[in-house]
Amino acid sequence: MPEEYDLVILGRGAAAFSAAIKATELTSGQAKIAMIGVGPLGGTCVNVGCVPSKYLVEAAKSKFEGERQTYPGIIRNRGSLKFDLLIESLRSAVESERMEKYENVIKNYQNVRIFDGKAAFTDPYTVEVINGKDRQTISGFNFLLATGSSPVVPNIPGLPDAGYLTSNDIWGIDDLPDRLAIIGGGFIALELGQSFQRLGSKVTIIKEHNSISKTIDPEFQQAMIKSLEEDGVEFLTGTSVRSAKKSVSGKILTLWAGGKTLDREFDQILVSRGRKPNVSGLNLEKAGIEYSERGVKVDPYLMTSNDRIYAAGDVVDQAYQLETLAAREGSIAASNIYNPEKMKIELNSVPWAIFTEPQFASVGITESMAKKEGIKCTCRTLRIEDIPKGRILNAHNGLFRVIADPDSGKILGVEILAPYAAEMIMEGVHLIRNGAHLEDLVQATHVFPTVAEGIKLTGQSFFRDMSKMSCCME
Amino acid sequence: MAEKKVSMKVFGMTCDDCVRTVSEGLRSSGARDVSVDLSSGMAHFIIDDAHTEPEKLLTIPAFSGNSHYKGQIRKVE
Repeated sequence: MPEEYDLVILGRGAAAFSAAIKATELTSGQAKIAMIGVGPLGGTCVNVGCVPSKYLVEAAKSKFEGERQTYPGIIRNRGSLKFDLLIESLRSAVESERMEKYENVIKNYQNVRIFDGKAAFTDPYTVEVINGKDRQTISGFNFLLATGSSPVVPNIPGLPDAGYLTSNDIWGIDDLPDRLAIIGGGFIALELGQSFQRLGSKVTIIKEHNSISKTIDPEFQQAMIKSLEEDGVEFLTGTSVRSAKKSVSGKILTLWAGGKTLDREFDQILVSRGRKPNVSGLNLEKAGIEYSERGVKVDPYLMTSNDRIYAAGDVVDQAYQLETLAAREGSIAASNIYNPEKMKIELNSVPWAIFTEPQFASVGITESMAKKEGIKCTCRTLRIEDIPKGRILNAHNGLFRVIADPDSGKILGVEILAPYAAEMIMEGVHLIRNGAHLEDLVQATHVFPTVAEGIKLTGQSFFRDMSKMSCCME
Repeated sequence: MAEKKVSMKVFGMTCDDCVRTVSEGLRSSGARDVSVDLSSGMAHFIIDDAHTEPEKLLTIPAFSGNSHYKGQIRKVE
């Protein structure tokens, strides 16, 4: 006989934990919950995603800032690096975070049982959990699919033999690579590329396309690439990787660009071509769940094509793969399972960020998205040099953009490329979530001098010539 | 008039008072032959589908708003 649960959660990451905790709260701890998965608790974010990458970003920034000549009269020295100590401290930080926010947390929930193994549906409400030779059958009234995502590895001849790293396993290296090739140029590539460059690697980012993302406005992309190039990162755009092979002293990539081939040697290869939803091996067909290689199809309430099964996080077919979104969706899915009042996920006010230096952050629509989707909009853009605090920081390659409805002035989007952008974007979240208009933005007094003032000044630029405004002009 | 036999899982009940509150909530919303079991958290009752639907009972005051009882329809016959 299968073990029976009220809620069976496939996955053990942010969405899974959020759902388990919310379901426990809503049912006064009476829902019997199974949480099934493989690997360390906490999923991508804490183990191989946001937590280690931001640790590396901040460590690299610390080294870089200590060496950079920012203000006259301050003498900087080139810092030395003991990479083995740094990476060990990173792994230790990950371990602590996982213990504190996942392993120890789940011990508080007596109604949640953790299962190790891969689950696959055998009928719409039953899964078989396989862990080595052990097989266990578990049935549930409701299910939540929260199996996350995995790195995409392109089919490049010779790559498996040459050896490569992904964002899942780069945290296991003990030596800083002298020459690091990154295949792909998305968000992870930019963050890790800049960080390894700042730590002392010679980083080459190899991209087939010239853009970072279709959703980021071109001026912001160009400024980001310029920042990384100023740090020394090499961009090979319009370049594809034809093959890979081992060499005596490293790994050789055969590149193709402009009709010519070129061999380049590196010490390590990082594949960073995005992440794909973990849908394979689940036997979703047996549960009547519609999905594609883009992920599980859900309605606005996160319900799948089986009305007793929901999905949340990276496994969902949606535009963003974010830890905060996964956790939000896990909570909403649990709420919709147990509450008669259904909640929708509002992607429009979900912020996201790239932790390069300067940081990029965005919420709502961008000008590019508006054009593509035929949304009428007007926008204003200020440079970081137009902001007093930006000049104090000697910051450059920074931009602020506010996108608004041309008739009503309702704010539709905020885009920031600046120091602390990931912190500042929350102002944009509240503006959009509350349906605020440009007047609401400019009527709010901001602290002077702050980088965040850039959002307000950009709002003011809809009404005034900012070059004729004095400091703190209201 | 068509009768439906409904089985509902009720989360949040901890005592006999809870059983009484849930039972009365269901009865006042049109359910009859109401039987609520504390240990299993299951409620069984009959409704006349000319007057109400099983899902509508999930929105009665006993299960919605700030109520800490959550109902979930498990079976309708």
